[in-house]
Amino acid sequence: MQRHFAFILITSLLAQAQEPLPQNFSEVDHPECAAFGPKREQQQRSAVDTSNQLTARVASLLAPMTRYAAVSDSPNADPVNLIDTHIFDVLQQKNVTPAQPATDWEFIRRVTLDLTGRLPDSQRVITFVNDADTAKRTKLIDELFAKPEWVDKWTMFYGDLYRNNSTNSQIHRYVPGVVAFNTWIRESLKTNKPYDRMARELITATGTDSYSTGELNWLVGGVVTGGPVQDVWDQQAANTAETFLGLSTANCVLCHNGRGHLDTLSLWGRSALRTDAWGLASFFSRTETLRTSVTPGDPNPYYWHVAQNTTRFRTDYPLNTTTGNRPARVPLATGQTTVSPVYPFAGNGTLKPAAGEDYRAALGRFVTQDFQFARASVNTMWEAMFGIGLVTPSNQFDLARLDPDKPPSDCPPDTPCELQASHPRLLNDLAQYFIDNKYDVRKLQRLMVSSRAYQLSSRYEGEWNPLWARLFARKLVRRLMAEELHDAIASSSLVIPTYNNSLWGPVNWAMKLPEPVATPDGLNGAVARFLNAFLRGNRDEEDRRGDGAISQALNLMNDPFVMTRIRSTTANGLLARNINQTDENLVNILFLNVLSRYPEDTERATALGNLKNGGNRTQEAENLLWSLYNKVDFIFNY
Amino acid sequence: MKSTKQQQHERIVERFPHHHETYFRRPDISRRGLLQMAGGLAGSFLFTPTAAVAAPTSKAAGVTPINKAENVIFILLTGAPSHTDTFDFKMVNGVTPASFNPARVNGVMWPTGLLPKMSQQMPNMAIMRSVQSWALVHTLAQVWSQIGRSPAAALGDIAPNIGSIVAIEKGVENSVFPPFLALNAAAGVGSGYLSTEFAPFRVNYGSSGTSTGIPNTTNTLGESRFKTLTDRMQQIDGGLRQSQSEYRDYDQFYSAARRMMYNNTVQSAFSYTSAESAAYGSSSFGNACLVAKKALRANQGTKFVQINFGSWDHHNEIYAEDTLPAMAKQLDAGYAQLLADLKNDGLLDKTLVVMTGEFGRTVGKLSGSSGRDHWKQQSTIFAGAGVKGGRALGETDATGADTVNYGWSEERYVRPEDIEATIYSAMGIDWTTVRYDDPFGRGFEYVPFGGAGLYRPIDELWK
Repeated sequence: MQRHFAFILITSLLAQAQEPLPQNFSEVDHPECAAFGPKREQQQRSAVDTSNQLTARVASLLAPMTRYAAVSDSPNADPVNLIDTHIFDVLQQKNVTPAQPATDWEFIRRVTLDLTGRLPDSQRVITFVNDADTAKRTKLIDELFAKPEWVDKWTMFYGDLYRNNSTNSQIHRYVPGVVAFNTWIRESLKTNKPYDRMARELITATGTDSYSTGELNWLVGGVVTGGPVQDVWDQQAANTAETFLGLSTANCVLCHNGRGHLDTLSLWGRSALRTDAWGLASFFSRTETLRTSVTPGDPNPYYWHVAQNTTRFRTDYPLNTTTGNRPARVPLATGQTTVSPVYPFAGNGTLKPAAGEDYRAALGRFVTQDFQFARASVNTMWEAMFGIGLVTPSNQFDLARLDPDKPPSDCPPDTPCELQASHPRLLNDLAQYFIDNKYDVRKLQRLMVSSRAYQLSSRYEGEWNPLWARLFARKLVRRLMAEELHDAIASSSLVIPTYNNSLWGPVNWAMKLPEPVATPDGLNGAVARFLNAFLRGNRDEEDRRGDGAISQALNLMNDPFVMTRIRSTTANGLLARNINQTDENLVNILFLNVLSRYPEDTERATALGNLKNGGNRTQEAENLLWSLYNKVDFIFNY
Repeated sequence: MKSTKQQQHERIVERFPHHHETYFRRPDISRRGLLQMAGGLAGSFLFTPTAAVAAPTSKAAGVTPINKAENVIFILLTGAPSHTDTFDFKMVNGVTPASFNPARVNGVMWPTGLLPKMSQQMPNMAIMRSVQSWALVHTLAQVWSQIGRSPAAALGDIAPNIGSIVAIEKGVENSVFPPFLALNAAAGVGSGYLSTEFAPFRVNYGSSGTSTGIPNTTNTLGESRFKTLTDRMQQIDGGLRQSQSEYRDYDQFYSAARRMMYNNTVQSAFSYTSAESAAYGSSSFGNACLVAKKALRANQGTKFVQINFGSWDHHNEIYAEDTLPAMAKQLDAGYAQLLADLKNDGLLDKTLVVMTGEFGRTVGKLSGSSGRDHWKQQSTIFAGAGVKGGRALGETDATGADTVNYGWSEERYVRPEDIEATIYSAMGIDWTTVRYDDPFGRGFEYVPFGGAGLYRPIDELWK
């Protein structure tokens, strides 16, 4: 029924649809753009020459793009927001012309994928483009935030950030633990829990059963085997610093002073001391993270309890280890044999637990009141929405190179000495905005996707300089995530799978899986294989990746998951429902469903020609649908 | 007592960061992302095979690689097998099960009860017993073994797998098989900052007795219809695929994929019958060994095969039927048959087979939970490509806890960096090569400090 309504709209729009109109998709940039350390700037300079030559080469290869129809090309009706002030100021200073605004076609596909991980409904595409309301983009954004798919996508995102998996190289959470943690994330997002509260709940989690108290599973991820309990506290501290403060270098300092190790990487790290890092780890020095067998006597499976145990742990972080995963911890020259909790990243050594205060409660307080917490959180979100973090990579902040009012100076030789963020003031303003809006994740995202910067086209007129990527002079593109591709093929083909699993229940969408290693159709199942080909990672040592692979092409061309969905014989599938449409309508419907747009003129002519003259019309329709699923602009968010 | 050379080496290494154990978690970035920092274009065009091979490099003077191998099979025993129960066997009275039945084979002490078939292959095997890992954390040490350097070092995050370096150096352009195969190594290290063309092509084999080959190398609609499909796609998408950087980059994977489809050579190399599988022990490891052999025999461009096999992380109940003995049984059947078949096919002479865990396990008495915990001392087995087998190089003390005789002219522990140098040298690759196409512009050394002589190939394996 829904489809039927769409046909009427499509038919009524056909005339307009053939008008030449602004470019919709086009030149591509890489989504993830990262480097760390001081060499980045140097490297970028040295890359310019080569890149400029390449750009010229590419530009000469570019065929003139024909333009296809959009009913309206509404400029952003929102006023310039704080993001735009910074982004366009810098562009102006550097005399760089930004790309044109994205068309409505481009915008609805982009923002729907970014916010909900799904393709826009084809009918919504038409109503959106056809809508004369100048506030329609804002209305669309509001609508997307209210969708359950928004919760699915960001549950996956924070699951990645918190590394929620059933098994890592050290321990098992087992599926019930993963599901419990996943549910906690999901509920937190659904109820719009302030992000600082999420962080505090994870840092201070206490409970006896990780299968029922989901938030315990974050601290469980810090368990390290084969060493003393200090190794666990160290890792829990390192995870706190990396996850919530973007400070992965803290992990290095938990083994040794920064001098001689981090000098070229981090100005802050150069003078960071192991004793200070111990001060952070000491906040965990009453924390017991223990496994309990589900069946007494049988070591596996097990669940976890996380608790303050002041009977077992009577002193602060003791310096008494010689074995394990980190270098020995021995008494200091002063004779000091323990280290008390002191927050090392702010407060100049004054941030200590109040008398009688639970150590982790104090830590949760210090972390979430640290401006760096807001800064790291907004930067991670910026990276997700804009492709490159303002500080990149997002987990390697250098605390000594962030303040635009006090830029680093007189740095020792070979240390990085430039402000780290591409837009230091924007980063701070975003952080302040997040704080002022009570750490509301939706509000933060709304600010980002409402900005004109986000709504620039990904196509750039004229010669593109690769260094402009970090200026955000155009929208950078990314390959769809494994789950997004799966769900896009399912939704656009109208053939929605159901995966039953006794441990995590029936789901229809890959984005609802509790972890990226989940095998919806069994251990060696085709769907799991399809998803893995797109590098969804394992939330352990294998990170989610956005690059290509031969197996991705094999899967998109041949996997049963795709092949059943392009057949006209598949009951209630896109072709079965529409094969009797006129050729023009059929082509439009396929394009609209799969690519969320109408065909360009040349695409339309090719498709219609094959339907008419290719011999078997039904087969030609299948060929077209197959081609669209393998079209590179289907595989990318542009 | 450590040798003077070892102490000297430690002092040198002391001056460089991250030589010691440290807990490390990889940053959340894609490695390939690093090379894209300057925007979309660099990543696509800089790293086409021609450009990549033509990257500016420098090498140390007077280096002569062994150059006896055309292929490498690298077996990573993940989880770290107990060296004193296997490749550096030590009988612990009242602890080691009598059924392990230690005996001297070619003069090498070996658990003939635990690994009986491998003892038949002893004449082909050289066991390096002076190996020590740098780290005792699985992920860290496994990554270390695969990239031959500290993952936490400056270029660790962007370092390619050893197999990717072999692929870029020795791969043949437009070959039918990918130059680097990773079997049952879904979690293995990828191509780092190099193009994903040199990334491991990952195929997983279960323990099932038959395999129909690489999934999705045929299309359900048949070959002739498939050709129509791709023709239609070219008609409608050709412009984008040919003209623009990232799209064109992505299209290269389609070209490579199409070379693998409807190809009898691919089909027969990557599939097997239950009889073939049975000869290798009908296990997932055995099947991976079988496919490694078949892929190399097909000689279609595969140069490096990585096989991961785990888990050997026996903290608990190490001698229970379903722990070490069960793992050893699969290892024994698969590895022994692999060497035997390579030999029969005349491939062993030109294929270096390296097998190692990421570290060893504690020695002597068992832990409180009847297991063995992490330990740096370990052993690595080399075979093929002219390696003189039937012997152990280096020697540990009575318990197996530490090396007493290093067994090579360097007179110090063998490190993952040395194993990496040995692989490159065997393949005729100058291990002192420094490429200047890395995203930091500081030069990527194939072996860290290889040019300075800090690490080097174990030439003694061939002597």
